[in-house]
Amino acid sequence: MTRRPWMIVPALGAATAFGGAPVAQRDSLPGLVSAGEYADARPGAFRRPLPQTGGVYSAGPFPLATPGLAPSDGRELVQSFCSTCHSLRYITMQPPLPPAQWEATVKKMIDVHGAEIPQPIAWRIIAYLQANYGGR
Amino acid sequence: MKDPDHLSRREWLKLLGVGGAGVALGELLPPETGRPLPQRQAPNVAWNSSGPLVAYPQKLPLIVLTDRPVQLETPRDYFASPFTPNAAFFVRWHLDQHPNAIDLSRWRLEVGGQVRRVLSLSFDDLVSKYPAVTVAAVNQCSGNSRSRLQPRVPGGQWGNGAMGNAVWTGARLSSLLEAAEVQPGAVAVQFEGLDRGRGPIGKGSHRFLKSLNLDEPALHDSLVAYAMNGEPLPMLNGFPIRLVVPGWFATYWVKALTWIRVLDQPDDNFWMKSAYRIPDTPRGSTTPDSARAGAVRMIPIHRMPVRSFLISPDGNAKLPAGLPVTVRGIAFSGYGRVGKVEISEDDGHSWRDAELGTDHGPYAFRTWEAAWTPRETGVATLAVRATDEGGNMQPDEGVWNPGGYLWNRIERQSIVVGGGGRL
Repeated sequence: MTRRPWMIVPALGAATAFGGAPVAQRDSLPGLVSAGEYADARPGAFRRPLPQTGGVYSAGPFPLATPGLAPSDGRELVQSFCSTCHSLRYITMQPPLPPAQWEATVKKMIDVHGAEIPQPIAWRIIAYLQANYGGR
Repeated sequence: MKDPDHLSRREWLKLLGVGGAGVALGELLPPETGRPLPQRQAPNVAWNSSGPLVAYPQKLPLIVLTDRPVQLETPRDYFASPFTPNAAFFVRWHLDQHPNAIDLSRWRLEVGGQVRRVLSLSFDDLVSKYPAVTVAAVNQCSGNSRSRLQPRVPGGQWGNGAMGNAVWTGARLSSLLEAAEVQPGAVAVQFEGLDRGRGPIGKGSHRFLKSLNLDEPALHDSLVAYAMNGEPLPMLNGFPIRLVVPGWFATYWVKALTWIRVLDQPDDNFWMKSAYRIPDTPRGSTTPDSARAGAVRMIPIHRMPVRSFLISPDGNAKLPAGLPVTVRGIAFSGYGRVGKVEISEDDGHSWRDAELGTDHGPYAFRTWEAAWTPRETGVATLAVRATDEGGNMQPDEGVWNPGGYLWNRIERQSIVVGGGGRL
């Protein structure tokens, strides 16, 4: 059975910092020791591995710089559903987008990229993004 | 095509908990946060994007666009040299399960698909069994400078720093394909790296794939590179190997390349068929209305149009009137080497030639410099434009397309000139 992490992860209020556990060991991908490992970037919280001899070349985890989102209705939905696949910086980075563009963006995540977001929740997410990160 | 999920305005209003009809949606949306909605989407006019500087593994502090997957922009100062240091080189992954650690004793590059002999090559095979070839080439993100577009478009809001120039060393792609013996009837070569995400199999969110047509001349210039500026690639730049397609945008330079597949059908995966597409128009430009109406034919992005950049002075410090300074920068093109760079002191009315630096080959940054003495106090504006040997000169108009690609307008730099410096 294919892993479908967003069926498990987006339990309301249970959003982790990075939307689920990293994939530490994947035998199907030759030579891949670890991928998708991220770590809290706060000073003191971030450790870099020292190089070891042998065949493994490791960069260690990549630091996270997760932004806060505007506090308004729907924020928790956005945090849990949108961060399944990507950082919330994908939202805060955008210029103020017109309402139709936020709608199209969320629909693209569902229709094109396969995000499993129930329709009523999708509309609340769209409304939140339009209200807080929108322009005209 | 009718979208079955589309809600009517009435449903919208119900969802938002407001009544009434005939009210523009934009006006309903809410100032719950107390913040007024921005009325304008001004372009970013700063040279770089505006994110925080963070030091990633094997990297100097770079500007963070996104932290998962990792996208980092190179600050302007690093372009003062013709080769961009590996530790300062920009980073752009598509999907959030990109590699942290790779075991080279188990890692293999597989060359398969429509071939007579499937190859499974270790890192050592690539280094020792194929002639090492070197090329200096610019790697530039398709969306470099996307934050300049007007109207703004969604996507990575890069300033100008999603580019870099390096000496790439590796095996020729064509040598690998010859060794594998491509079958008659093959049409394209598909590349897949370890750029994977959490999306379902079959979707663009699951894995990143790009391809080149077998009859594409760029394929014969391409390398499978295991060294970058004489060192291993940083993990974030595609360790252990990446594809190098000189003259073409970075979307084809697949990182952590692990599978090469020869196809007997054109590649219709998301990253070729839907993403990274440009209008088939002069300069790849169109209008929002035409794009919305689907009135413009879209084709995969390919070569990089000519660009030039003014790196210093960068406008952060005031210059004294009367003091001669050297203006420096870089230029490049995917359509032939840069043969001319000109600067203008009068906002593009008149131009004079800059002096070109060492020629590192047709695909590399070409440095340039010009003497300039600011004469008047006030704000001076310098502009720079390049012309490549294909005769393409940078225009003074922007482009617009829905992906935010191909920006190559003439760059300008304002510099404050102060008094008291007359020699």
